[in-house]
Amino acid sequence: MTVTPCRNKWPGTLSDRERFTRQMHWQSVDRCFNMEFGYWNENFSMWDIFVDNGIKNNAEADVFFNFDRIANVGGNIWMSPGFTPKVIEERPNSLIKLDASGLIVEVPKDGHDTIPHYLGASIVTPEDWKREKELRFRRDDPARKVDVAAIRARHPATRDYPLGVYCGSMIGRIRDMLTFEGIAYALYDYPDMLEDMVETACALVEDYLDQVLGHIDFDYASGWEDICFKSGPIITLDFFNQVVVPRYRRIGKKLHQHGIDLWYTDCDGDVRPLLPGFLDAGINCLFPFEVNSCCHAGELLDLYAGQLRIMGGVDKMALGQGPNAIRAYLDSLAPYVARGGYIPFCDHRCPPNVKPADYLFYLDLKEKMFGMK
Amino acid sequence: MTDFIALQTAIIKGKRDDVKAIVNAALEAKEDINALLDKGMIPAMREIGERFSRNEAYVPELLIAARAMQAGLAIIEPELAKSGRKSLGKIAIGTVKGDLHDIGKNLVAIMLKGAGYDVIDLGVNCDIAKFEDGVKQGAQIIACSSLLTTTMAYMKDIVTHFKDQGVKVIIGGAPVTKAFAEEIGANGFSDDANGAVKLVDGFLKA
Repeated sequence: MTVTPCRNKWPGTLSDRERFTRQMHWQSVDRCFNMEFGYWNENFSMWDIFVDNGIKNNAEADVFFNFDRIANVGGNIWMSPGFTPKVIEERPNSLIKLDASGLIVEVPKDGHDTIPHYLGASIVTPEDWKREKELRFRRDDPARKVDVAAIRARHPATRDYPLGVYCGSMIGRIRDMLTFEGIAYALYDYPDMLEDMVETACALVEDYLDQVLGHIDFDYASGWEDICFKSGPIITLDFFNQVVVPRYRRIGKKLHQHGIDLWYTDCDGDVRPLLPGFLDAGINCLFPFEVNSCCHAGELLDLYAGQLRIMGGVDKMALGQGPNAIRAYLDSLAPYVARGGYIPFCDHRCPPNVKPADYLFYLDLKEKMFGMK
Repeated sequence: MTDFIALQTAIIKGKRDDVKAIVNAALEAKEDINALLDKGMIPAMREIGERFSRNEAYVPELLIAARAMQAGLAIIEPELAKSGRKSLGKIAIGTVKGDLHDIGKNLVAIMLKGAGYDVIDLGVNCDIAKFEDGVKQGAQIIACSSLLTTTMAYMKDIVTHFKDQGVKVIIGGAPVTKAFAEEIGANGFSDDANGAVKLVDGFLKA
């Protein structure tokens, strides 16, 4: 489908690639990089601006709002093959399913956008892990071979937008596989199994990076963890610092050898206890930085000035409260946008309780405040 | 005579086998089982809750401590029932309608049980009728959880419904704030599991 933008791209004198790189290194820019993380699935059926214009997904929405372009490429760096999803039981309002991570999950029948209700896992004990590792985590799996030429063709070196290399997750995907409670118990019951899982995750990412680094000119690295919630990490700090951080360091070393010095990880929740470990290992940017479960982005940008960058951090609750709250929140972020190393956007996918008119007000105000003067 | 500090330490460190051994030894010696709870298990869970609030302990520590306490509790529960021990109070807890998330709700339930309260876990996706079931079972407090900005609005319906029924409604969850709790007229709000215990203490221990 061809999407017709509903607004002009913010005027600028730099390319998106130059702007992003300079802004994230505290260098002067023509204007702020203009991006958003996206929207809940419900927004595409509830917001009139999306329904009336046939916008059905986040990729189309990015074009519709004419945001700056940013891209990311990743490889087959985890379970391969995954479990075959199937419905196990049908309940009046929900379905019990086996998902691709081997989890038994309950999901609403109406398909509304939500994290599933996790009921159990296929991998619990070292015996389960040994069996599934041999089947699904083979490093020599031909499906892990990267088609470098295809990536280069899709993202040529002459491109004008930033391109990231996805470095996966060292512990978040393991949490996905074991469940929130399961990983907590495994830390005490099967620490060796857990460390072997982290080592496996790291080796698979390293194998991938060895295939692409030096062949494709990346501007940044990205990752995903989601290992915190509003009361802090869901793993112990000892395990994080002694087992996870050293693996980040190995990956960080490879990235640095190829000139990649910006690495963000997507970790919701209160990340503050993990932040020293992230920074020590080379993860120097947080994304999308959920405010309500952590703090104002400025608090951490001040605390780790010159080290930490943040992408996101516009409180979605303020977006839901209307123009005055939106203006007040963007005002509070203005000094950090001016300083650099910070790109403001909604601190997760924008939820449907935000009114479309308020969202457009937010986009307009963002351009007025952070666009080219 | 039971070393209550050893029992507390075993629970805090999540050492289930040690807890079982201490509890079994106390039972064999025909010691007061209420003391196991009041001087060992409950103080241990309150201590881990305090550490959780101070960011000195995180979810894994809390979960394994609760598991260790449960291992000991399972041994003494038949005797406790016979002893006529009076409950500190009863709380009905659930995640509100439209929301299937239960991690936060489960943590609060664990901490309330650890503090010595009776907890009726109503599960997820709870409408007003489900919470009414909890009240019929004797709950003095209704504890509502929500993860989503789209489902937290239902908390207002719950608060309004139970307003004049002599039942307190307390709320929590990732997007829930004190200001929201005040706006909808909830009786209380907590932003973590240990805070929920203190909130309930305030209502039921006063």
